[in-house]
Amino acid sequence: MTTIVIIDTLLLLLVTATAIAIIEVRSLYASAMLTSVYSLLMALVWVNMHSMDVAFTEAAVGGGISTILLIGTLVHLPREEKKLKKRLHAPAAITCALAGAALIYGTLDMPNFGDPMAPIHHYRVPEMMSQTVGFINQTKGKQPAPEGFDPYAYRTFNGAVQGIPKDPTDTAWRETSIIAQRGIMVPQVLTPGHEPHHEAGHHLHPPDDFNGHIPNSVTSLLAGYRGYDTMFETTVIFTAGVSLIMLLRRPRREGEAQKSAPMTDQVILRVVTKMSIPFILLFGLYVITHGELGPGGGFQGGVVLACGFILFALVFGRPALYRVLPPRVTDVLTGVGVLIYSGTGAACLFFGGKFLDYSALNAASPGEGEALGMTLVEYGVGITVSMVMLTIFNQLAEEQSK
Amino acid sequence: MAWNEIVCTIFLALGCVVTLTGSVGLVRMPDFYARLHTAGKTDSLAQLLILFGLVFVTPGPVDEIGGWLIRVKLLMVGMILIIAAPTATHAITKAAHLSGLKPWTKTDPGGEPK
Repeated sequence: MTTIVIIDTLLLLLVTATAIAIIEVRSLYASAMLTSVYSLLMALVWVNMHSMDVAFTEAAVGGGISTILLIGTLVHLPREEKKLKKRLHAPAAITCALAGAALIYGTLDMPNFGDPMAPIHHYRVPEMMSQTVGFINQTKGKQPAPEGFDPYAYRTFNGAVQGIPKDPTDTAWRETSIIAQRGIMVPQVLTPGHEPHHEAGHHLHPPDDFNGHIPNSVTSLLAGYRGYDTMFETTVIFTAGVSLIMLLRRPRREGEAQKSAPMTDQVILRVVTKMSIPFILLFGLYVITHGELGPGGGFQGGVVLACGFILFALVFGRPALYRVLPPRVTDVLTGVGVLIYSGTGAACLFFGGKFLDYSALNAASPGEGEALGMTLVEYGVGITVSMVMLTIFNQLAEEQSK
Repeated sequence: MAWNEIVCTIFLALGCVVTLTGSVGLVRMPDFYARLHTAGKTDSLAQLLILFGLVFVTPGPVDEIGGWLIRVKLLMVGMILIIAAPTATHAITKAAHLSGLKPWTKTDPGGEPK
């Protein structure tokens, strides 16, 4: 047993215990806090798997903002859950057991954790790794695939491929592969039984379609390869914000003073908040900007920005927040974020590329165009996410001060 | 074992011992305030000790900026924790006090909110 497996087992036991506690606990506040604990534990699991972007999102969204919003919602609800008569509901229990068994059966087909022969390491990732941006051999921008890497080699799925031995403990093949020689992960594919995904439509993307040209492969996937997905995710968040405004916002009567509870007597909280808010906002902007280089991006950074504003509102009162960011401004900025995203795509069209093909933004150096386009897109996502989160918080708070 | 690993191990062990005392206190203390007292203080110190220990084993050469980037980031996390953790403890305690939770005493072992 490796250390990773031991840590994973302990973490998953804690996750299970937390999940059971969430179900069992009667107090809704305790339940909300346990949900936050659950998210943080899951973030640790992701860290253990080295998927930092997912961990960051889980910690920021699951552990941070959704706890705040849940507690904001709980203000309108009773403190305790309704008492239910506990008795076993047989059909539900059977359905749950069957679904669980099906899921476990499904995982049997998945490759082992960290298996170098997992399909993902043979297929998309090598292609992405083979086209990196930056400086390799003093050349800048999008790099051609290295010598000896044939992206079409494992696109012929006749099963007659060689290179990787069948025995997973035999790792000698890696020494002779391009991994060792080039310092990048391009395995020599393929043995029967180790062939990559061969579903129709999955392997038919031209290699050029894969915009793996910026250092953080996750952002590259998110904003380049899956750029449309991310754009519509942002649109979904925008739609959620707009629907919330339409459902909850009521026209404020003229002259009606906003009831507020600024914590004037809480000197320590006021001082610490005043001190830390610039750093929270700076960190949020850093996370958004740094998304193309490391873990982070628009979603996480936007949530961090929103948390900064919410902290300000909690300690200094909502009227103070409205002086800094009036609802009119947040409403407009919600749309501006989506506009920046789709505008970047349109700009790519304007420069002669495809929609959201960022490399068209800088014809001289496509890699830099990619980096610029993705940074712009991340800012669009960040602005929309932070403003929608702030709107949700404001609406919840407005409701409770009535 | 290099000297930096020994220093790191000492700091990590100290951090673990402090966390353990905090956990014991959390279980054994009689009421909310006393539990928060043990948990808050020991957590702040233990996190600081562990982060400080990790600074010593961060990969990267000492005379280059690349190694120091992570070390300085770890120390910044420590700085944030040393401000944020006691503030959070203070906020929780104050909220409990304002909502009327009486501290435990030997003569009045109730301590329930009224």
